Amino acid sequence: MTNKIDWLFFIKQITSISKNTYKESIRSKIFYILMAFAVLILGFAVILSFLTIGSQKRIILDLGLAGISFFSVMTSIFVGIGLIYVEIEKKTIYNVLSKPMPRSLFIIGRYFGMMAVLGTNLLAMLLILTVLLAIFKGFTLMVFYAGFFIYMELAVITAIAIFFSSVASPVLSAICTLAFYLIGHTSSTFPEILVPLLHNQFEKKVAIALFHLLPDLSMLNVCNLITYEIPIAQGFTIRAIIYTFSYVLVLLVAACLIFRKRDLV
Amino acid sequence: MKEAAISIRNLKKSFKGHLSIGRIEALRGVDLNVPSSGIYGFIGPNGAGKTTTLKIITGLIFPDEGEVKIFGKPNSEFTARSNIGFLPESPYFYDYLTGEELVFFFGSLFKIPKKELKERTVSLLELVGLKGKEKLPLRKYSKGMLQRVGLAQALISDPELLILDEPMSGLDPIGRREIRDLILKLKKEGKTIFFSSHILADAEMICDEVGIIVKGKIVERGKLETLLGKEVRFWDISFRGAQVPLELSQKTVVSHEDLTMIRVDSEEEVETALLLLQSNKSKILSVIPHKASLEEIFLSSVEEGKNDKQN
Repeated sequence: MTNKIDWLFFIKQITSISKNTYKESIRSKIFYILMAFAVLILGFAVILSFLTIGSQKRIILDLGLAGISFFSVMTSIFVGIGLIYVEIEKKTIYNVLSKPMPRSLFIIGRYFGMMAVLGTNLLAMLLILTVLLAIFKGFTLMVFYAGFFIYMELAVITAIAIFFSSVASPVLSAICTLAFYLIGHTSSTFPEILVPLLHNQFEKKVAIALFHLLPDLSMLNVCNLITYEIPIAQGFTIRAIIYTFSYVLVLLVAACLIFRKRDLV
Repeated sequence: MKEAAISIRNLKKSFKGHLSIGRIEALRGVDLNVPSSGIYGFIGPNGAGKTTTLKIITGLIFPDEGEVKIFGKPNSEFTARSNIGFLPESPYFYDYLTGEELVFFFGSLFKIPKKELKERTVSLLELVGLKGKEKLPLRKYSKGMLQRVGLAQALISDPELLILDEPMSGLDPIGRREIRDLILKLKKEGKTIFFSSHILADAEMICDEVGIIVKGKIVERGKLETLLGKEVRFWDISFRGAQVPLELSQKTVVSHEDLTMIRVDSEEEVETALLLLQSNKSKILSVIPHKASLEEIFLSSVEEGKNDKQN
């Protein structure tokens, strides 16, 4: 009984931290600046579609999804890297962690709050894209399927950002998270392309280890499949969900373990 | 016997030195017992280890050695913090929140039903004198208002123990008085207040007990009245007489017509002076001992602390 009550209390505490994180992001300027850029890209996609013949829908869909994905990832990185570090730097964390709450709940709460912000952001942009597509007679619900995969990618990127934010400064966190993002989109090529090019057995082993360690973000990219209406393999979605969940879980557990014993000076 | 509000045993803490070279000892074996009633002043000069101690108590940093108990519970258990309210030094709050949102947010981290939390938020903001300002974002608050909203959030769980880090620093005299009055009011309500300060006048005015920390070690502790009563700095002797004895003329502070006041530095000198005055047929009006102020005790403790470290 006591355990049950404690779990409910933990959920309440996580929800409070998440709500506060949501308010913080929604009331910050950077959120609106990145959102404005994303809307601009959607407008640009429409203008560009007028310059092509016969494939207006495809241009809007392709550029629209790419723009939404890119600006969502940028929001995730540039807001995410400050989620823990800035709290320590500004000393706002002192008041929170002096309350009867395990430190790990703070990390989890910040993460979910950020995911709620990104979800709102993404949903708003997907709705704009859907309206644009409807205007140009290219309405498709597959936009939301792509959106779901973008959201999973954001879940991984945010977890990486929060992990680095709990151990490093924002600049270092930004560099590392960006590096993970870029490598994450090419890591799937390591076994087929990179490993055969290496001669040393040790280097090959390192490349294979990195392939397993770094995120495989290409697994979460379905924008091209949807734009070009390529059929999606059975089990693809389930595999992507399990991969995202596992990767996020490992990163959050690692962040919590590091943060658990960190001196907040 | 009631459990001590805070009990600290042999607390040690060191930090990495500049450029990670060597280590700086911030606490060198602090022992402290804060009783579960009244106001306890934790005083010391800047860099003495006050904030480090408070951060360890509230679980923000971890000691190298030693133990801290809050009402008998080790502070390593997060539940030990359910009965404390903490106000950090120069508190930094989420400036995008309003005063009301901030207090409500911190309250939501405790086991308080939502309806009750709303009511408490309103009454606490009123208690700290922020009624009418609760809808303003914190970025528009003055330093004094931030300190008061900080106190409100520290009180939201109705804790038995309040830990305040330099609650009066950076405030103007009116702000300091308001916070002082509020602390005294909370004491009357039965709360234990443990606060750090380097403003001795404030500490002297409201503390029941003090602990003086210098260079990471407690150098003096006890009830304020006992500490202040320990030593008499000088005695003022007033008498009425036509002539001041020659031996006492050097000690004269004030002399008007046949009234004179002399100041002597030791009990032996008092006795000598009294004998001289009696033989001179002077009428002794008063002998007033002047005890040390907290500032003097503090300064001599700091000096002793320095010598102790050098030795």
